[in-house]
This record gives sequence, structure tokens and C-alpha cells, in this order.
Amino acid sequence: MSCTLLTFTSKTVPLSSMAVGEHGLVDSVSAPEHARVERLLALGITAGAIVTMLQTFPGVVFFCDQTELAVERAVADAILVRPMEDLR
Amino acid sequence: MSCHVVREHAAAGPSVLTLRARPLRVALVGQPNVGKSVVFGRLTGRYVTVSNYPGTTVAITKGRALVGAEVCDIIDTPGVNALEGSVSEDERITRDVLTSGGADLVVQVADARNLRRALMLTAQIAAFGKPVVLALNMIDEAFARGISIDSRVLSSALGIPVVETVAVDGQGFAELREALAHGAVPDAPAERSPLERAAWANDLTQRVRRTSTLSLSRIPEMLARATRRPLTGLPILAVVLYALYLFVGVFGAQTLVKLFEDGLFGKGINPAAIWLADRFIPVAFVRDFLVGEYGLITMGLTYAIAIVLPVVATFFLMFGFLEDSGYIPRLAIFCDRIFRVMGLNGKAVLPMVLGLGCDTMATMTTRILGTPKERLIAILLLALGIPCSAQLATILGILGGVSLAALLTLFAVVLGQMFVVGWLAARVLKGERSEFIMELPPIRWPRFGNLLTKTRLRVWWYLGEAVPLFLAGTVLLFVLDRVGALVWISRAGQPIVTGLLGLPAATAQILVMGFLRRDYGAAGLFQLAHNGQLTGVQAVVALTVMTLFVPCVANFLIMVRERGLRVGLAIVGVITPVAIFTGASLNYVLHALDVHF
Repeated sequence: MSCTLLTFTSKTVPLSSMAVGEHGLVDSVSAPEHARVERLLALGITAGAIVTMLQTFPGVVFFCDQTELAVERAVADAILVRPMEDLR
Repeated sequence: MSCHVVREHAAAGPSVLTLRARPLRVALVGQPNVGKSVVFGRLTGRYVTVSNYPGTTVAITKGRALVGAEVCDIIDTPGVNALEGSVSEDERITRDVLTSGGADLVVQVADARNLRRALMLTAQIAAFGKPVVLALNMIDEAFARGISIDSRVLSSALGIPVVETVAVDGQGFAELREALAHGAVPDAPAERSPLERAAWANDLTQRVRRTSTLSLSRIPEMLARATRRPLTGLPILAVVLYALYLFVGVFGAQTLVKLFEDGLFGKGINPAAIWLADRFIPVAFVRDFLVGEYGLITMGLTYAIAIVLPVVATFFLMFGFLEDSGYIPRLAIFCDRIFRVMGLNGKAVLPMVLGLGCDTMATMTTRILGTPKERLIAILLLALGIPCSAQLATILGILGGVSLAALLTLFAVVLGQMFVVGWLAARVLKGERSEFIMELPPIRWPRFGNLLTKTRLRVWWYLGEAVPLFLAGTVLLFVLDRVGALVWISRAGQPIVTGLLGLPAATAQILVMGFLRRDYGAAGLFQLAHNGQLTGVQAVVALTVMTLFVPCVANFLIMVRERGLRVGLAIVGVITPVAIFTGASLNYVLHALDVHF
């Protein structure tokens, strides 16, 4: 899987709205407090990271860089992604 | 697979290895769960607990290693996601190793599957200006997932040696030892903003990493998926708990205990000891001290070896298996919502489940939690409601023989009580809850060798820690009995013990001994139950009080060390009335409903 072949929409949506199996490119992390951005950054969730949704209930679980990350909904709401375009 | 060490670089600068007055101090630093402790074990030959979840190491471990002709002090540190900004308590410990001049050289242990994140940390490590060697660990797992890394290009881009390792097999360690002499400060944008560093890590990763199509059809991946989805995850949890009950509660607490207590001690050691004492010890006092009602051998050793040891051993074995499989952190997904009500987040499932092994160690593990408030609540709940392995042992041993309903009643009451206390604590205590953001370790087949080593060490630890206390407790009981204090305690406790709780008067002394070690008290109950002195309801009430009751001395001391004496006393002050009140209510309700187990 080479990143150059993937295209992403220009509109951003919260990570929490992605469907299971969907891929997205992280655009930004919105946060009222700095700590959230910092913690997500340390885990590699920052602009340019490619994520794949794995599960939305009971917690949001997604895949990024060979790592499964579980977050609560409020956090998933704050991660803005550009979903991958469906080429078919 | 080849390993690359850049030797050109070493020729350019002065070598790090020179004659010095003290050993070279090498700190192993890296993200959580990348295998630092395995690398430590490989380099020093010393075993430190290795598990498959972040936060196994929450304190520093040091060990000696001979590298070439030089003696090194290797420092194993808690895993860090970040070294700057607001860091959790375990991360601060690691940062202190780097700042306070504690390390001369850093070996960054990285998960080869996740190079981008590792590089973001490399840039932060570079800020400390120490020479660094990068170990790309678990290169085999990366390879299996279709990831290959050009270490040579990475090494010249960073200007430091990069070694590919598989720590569990010892692969790449000759190269790693050799590379220690060539460590250098990484050529990474240490001073730039976190976002710029992330972009740099992104670029460099794309230059050196090749990813082929990954197949996600392996069995561990299927299990990983099944364990976190509610539809499959909850039945799996039920199966795991039932297996735990069968292995520890039935096989350990009943079959093995019977074998040890009735067989080894009941027919072998105790009669032999009594026979020998009667023959060779003329003083009745000494005879009683050794083999009497509160005798060192007939009570202390019997409790420690025959009743508690079999269950602790079976529990540690099963628990180690769950730890190494990477299953436990997945429970956090299911617990997050419930824990939120108690002012915690799903991450707290780790200290809670570890508390089933030993509350004292789990109290230290609360360091991985984000805020002081969360730590305090977790420590309180651990002390209140989580039975440690030895205590669980006796619970399963006693109630397993009564009925499953009795067992479920106990757990329901204890969990309910923890929930109420947690809910109240979340409202009363000041401070914030941190957001639930957690990395799930991959599901792996546990390594049999590690499992055995870990279980063996834990059983030794139990024998070293618990047996002396069991013996000391027996001596204390013997003395109290001789000076007539036991009768006094029983009488003083009577209003509460026989009145409120509806228990036999003898239980009072057992509850007192429970403070020395919870399992010691529980073992006392075990004997009472064994002798038919407890009814089903009494057993449930007594065990509920014992479970909720003050933690053992070791747990109390660790609470004081972690949070201070005032907090430690406050926790005991909260727990004691809660335990008695709950026991009394339970006794009342069970009788009102005319329940017989």
C-alpha cells in the first residue's frame, strides 16, 4: 500500500463519524485544552497520519501505524479527518 | 535480515568508550510495550517482569552488563510516549534519568512496526544531548506485517547506529553491544515545534520504510478483533472468567489444597511434627509454640503452604498467560463508561486487574494514570474491593465449596460497593479525570519460557514475603492467646462481630489478623469453614467484610509511600466503616430474605 495512490476528500469530518473499515487522513486535532493534542501527538495522531476505523461501539477503536488505539467518543469527535475517496 | 551499524561515523568522532572511574551508564528508553525490559534482561542476564501491556515497568531497574571489556550499568526505564509537556508520573521517572545526569548513553528501543512514532521520540531524546543508539526491536513482527526498514539509510540520516533486533530471541544483540561504542547525538530537529518534528518523522519514515500489502487474516488478528467487539468480547470474557474459576477455584483451591492440607500436612508433616515434639521437647510451652493450636508449624506453615500456596501458584500461572497474551488492556474498552462514573477512565482496568495479583504492586501501577485524582481513586478502590491472589484463593476455596450463588453474591456486593464509593469519591474529590486514550497491545501467543519464569519468580516472591508474615502473625496470635488478649479481643469485637455481622465470636481475631495480611485472615476463615463452624451466609458475610476491610500492612505502607501518611490513614478511615456497614447490611438482608447458600 503506497500512500501516493490514495486520494482523500478535501472536506473534513470528525473521526467519530467514519464507518468501520473506512480510511482517513488526519487533518487536525481540535481541542479546548492543550493536553489532548499533546497526548494524541505522542501516539502519532497528528496531521498526515493515516487512520482506519475498526470499531465505533462501545469505544472508538482505530488503527494507525500498526497500532490499535482506543479512545472515548469526545476524543474521536475532536480528531478531524479527510476520508479516503471511493474510487469505484 | 541484516543488521547495520554505521562505523564510518565512529571514525569521525571520538569513541564514547574510554577509561572512566565508574561504569558507563546506559539508559534504555522507548515507548511503552516495545520490549525494553526484554532488552534489559538480554544485556544484564537479570530478569525483570515482562508482559504484553504498557506500564509493566513503573520504576527504574538497574543491572550490570559486560560489553566488550567495559562494565556498564544498564538502566531499565518506564515506557514513555513523550518526554516533554504534561507527562504522567511514570514518564517523569524516565525524564529524570535523562536530565539528572543519570545516563551517559541512551539506547532507544523502538517498535520497528511503528517507526514514525519512534522517530518523534528520538527527536525529543536528542534534546538531552546524550549519545544515542537506536534498536529497532520486534523487527520480525514488522517483517511479518510486510514492513521493511532500510536501517543503513536511517542510520546515516540520523547519524547514529541503528540495529535491528528481536530481543526475545537475542537476535541482533552482538551488533547492539558493538554499537554501544559508537553512540552519537541524533541529527534530529530537537528544538523545533512538536508539529514540525512530527512532519520530519513522517518524511524520514517514508524515505526508509517500505510497506507491502498486509494480510490481516492471522489468528492473533482475528482474536484481537473478537476480544474488543461487544458481541464476541463479552462472551469471551465470560469464558475467560469461568476458565479462571475452574483452574484456580476448583483445581487450585480445592483439588490441590485438599492434597496439600489433608495429605501432605494433615497426614504427613503435622502428625510427624507433633510426634517429634511430644518425644523430644519436654517444655509444654515450646511444644505449643511449634505444634499447638496457634503453632508455627500446625498453623503458620499449614496456612502459608497448604492453603494459600496452591491457589497463588495456579493463579499466577493463568494470570501470566493473560498478561502476556495482551488480553487485559482490551477490557478497557468495555470498562471505560463504567469507570467514567467513578471518575476514572478505561485505562484504570490495568491496575484493577493487576490488583487481583497483588494490591501492593497494583498500587504502584496507578502511576500510569493521568491525573492525581484518578490515582487516588484507583488506590482507594484497590484497597477497598480488589481481593489479591491469595485472598481470592481463600474466597474461591471457601465459597467454591458452598455454592456458585454465594460466590456471585460476594462479587456483586463488593463490585457494587466499589461502584458506590468510586461514584462518591469522584464527586467529593477535587481534580480532573483524564480522557481515555489508550494503545492496545497486539494479541500474541505467550512465550512458555517467560510464563514459567514469571510464575516461578512470583511464587518465590510470595514465599519470601508472605511466609515470614504468616509465621510472625502466628507468633503474635500465640502470644495474644497466652496473655489472654484473644478472649478480650473477641469480647470487645462481640457487639460488631456477633451482633451486627452475625458471625461466630472467633471471627473477631481473624479479622484483626487480616490486617497483617489479608490472606492470613482469609486462611483463618478457611479453617473455620473447613471445620464446619461457618454457615453459608456467615461465610459470605465474613468474606465480604474481609475483602472490603483494611488492606494488609504492605499495601498500607505502599499507599503511604505513594500518597503520604495523611492520605493512607484517610483511606483506612473510609474503608473500615464501609466494610462493617456493608457486612452488617448484607447480613440483615440475607436473613430478612431467608437466604441459605
